[in-house]
Amino acid sequence: MRRTLFLSIITYALLLAGLATLRGDLLALCLPFALYLALGYLCAPEEVDLEVERRIDVERAAPNIPIIITLTITNRGADLEELFLDDTLPSGLTLHSGSTCSLLRLAKGASHTLTYTVSGPRGGYVFETLKARATDHLAVASREVRLEAKGQLFVYPPVTRLRQVVIRPRNTRVYAGNIPARVGGSGIEFFGVRAYSVGDPPRSINWRATARHVDQLYANEFQQERVADVAIVLDGRWRTNEFSRGHSLFEYSVQAAASLADAFLAQGNRVGMLVYSIYFNWILPAYGKVQREKILQALARAHPGGSDVFAGLQHIPTRLFPRHSQIVLVSPLNEDDLEPLIQLRANGYQVLTVTPNPVSFELSFLPKQKEVDLAARVIRMERALMLRKLQRAGVQVLDWDVTHSFDQVVQRELRRVPVWLQMQGSLK
Amino acid sequence: MTNIIFILSVIIGAGALTWGYGAQGHAEYARWFFLLGTIWLLAKWRGWKWISPLALLIVIASAAYGLWINISFGWMMFAAVGGLLAWDLDDFSRRLSYAAPSDDIIGMENRHLARVGIVAALGGLLGFIAFVARIQLPFEVIVGLVILTILGLTRLITTLRKD
Repeated sequence: MRRTLFLSIITYALLLAGLATLRGDLLALCLPFALYLALGYLCAPEEVDLEVERRIDVERAAPNIPIIITLTITNRGADLEELFLDDTLPSGLTLHSGSTCSLLRLAKGASHTLTYTVSGPRGGYVFETLKARATDHLAVASREVRLEAKGQLFVYPPVTRLRQVVIRPRNTRVYAGNIPARVGGSGIEFFGVRAYSVGDPPRSINWRATARHVDQLYANEFQQERVADVAIVLDGRWRTNEFSRGHSLFEYSVQAAASLADAFLAQGNRVGMLVYSIYFNWILPAYGKVQREKILQALARAHPGGSDVFAGLQHIPTRLFPRHSQIVLVSPLNEDDLEPLIQLRANGYQVLTVTPNPVSFELSFLPKQKEVDLAARVIRMERALMLRKLQRAGVQVLDWDVTHSFDQVVQRELRRVPVWLQMQGSLK
Repeated sequence: MTNIIFILSVIIGAGALTWGYGAQGHAEYARWFFLLGTIWLLAKWRGWKWISPLALLIVIASAAYGLWINISFGWMMFAAVGGLLAWDLDDFSRRLSYAAPSDDIIGMENRHLARVGIVAALGGLLGFIAFVARIQLPFEVIVGLVILTILGLTRLITTLRKD
């Protein structure tokens, strides 16, 4: 359009000058420009009728993995002499190879394939439209259309496979699972001794107890194992996650939340997820693979944010969580978070806090100086004191130094201790 | 190919002005036109987008002024056509840079060069014919042309306001 305008101004200026001065040579000088414009308008493209199909080779990918995007453009209208295609990349994605633009001639009924490779960090990316601009050969007249070419790409956080995560909520659900239910029945862990009843297997008879009571047989009872309700709360507050020079612990928190959700769902539990950031994003508790997808999609979209309303953890909506269920909070923690967590525990929830260690994280990129070391020691002591207070209140704490892999830390801290080892520990 | 024709067009445009003005004894102007051509070529190499329209404007204004001070019409027409070609090809090469390597760049280049070449040649030829023929326009035709110009200008101003 600007080209046309520019040329029109020149043409009219020459024409006016020629007419005003009655100079034929000035009028003759404007002829090439007039012809250029006239031919351009004569060859102007007709209605642009294009059909676009977008194909993304994977809809779910790991961070920074190349993903191939293919656009097939078919011309359903008249021949297009010069067609410029421009696919806008959602912010965050980086072009890996190929080009998002193309300039071509597209005959009637012909198709063109635009292929490029992108990669990006964790996130949810939505492709909306493809810009197509058809012009004549001289680019005088143009028609621009935005063609709907929707597509969605999720770059999930890395999920570490956790072999076992032991939790002990007060309430469990009725279905069989891995969590000791504090109810006698069939299971692995010893629960108690009761009078033998008809139908009990003979190998369950406790011979020692029976020997003491000649008139009655006694049988061992084991703890039933069931599934439970687990609510994972991901802390996305800026004040706890963001550090100087753009360093952030949030990605580690997201990775931990994703791995824990995956492990709990794999154990058959009913898992919900709350992203506590600038606003709440609550994924209703459910079971299975669909729920895993929902949670990973929510985690892919999660961003840290700051809000005066949600500055503290006291606004965690406890009514969303089933009574006496397990709450897993993934947060680097802050000294103000002590009270709300103790309050959660007092309300009957079993609370596990997975806390990526902010002290060792920040220390890893700070200069090695005496003052820094001293400050780190003080903050480390304060943090240790806070965590100890939490543990005393009955909150289970997993302090994660992010320089170690999450699965190693979970394996060490949250594994199920075999009965014989528990007994050895109690004897000592 | 486009770049070669672009260089040739700049040489023709700026060269015709230099030669025309120089031949009429305006050597001081001629030096400036030579400098203009050099800057235009340099701007292409440096990727300065804004130089091309400005250079075309200067070329056209200089050609019109040249006609006013009775410099040979032939040189001025060559300058205008050369300027138009250079401006068009500079823009086309920029558009072509968006093409993917898999696109038919050579085919598009050839088609564009052929068409713009025809337009330039035909425009120049028409101009020469118009100049040589020296048709005496009757008053009514001139009035008609003025009305057409005013209509065109009104349309242009409306478009400018919309933008």
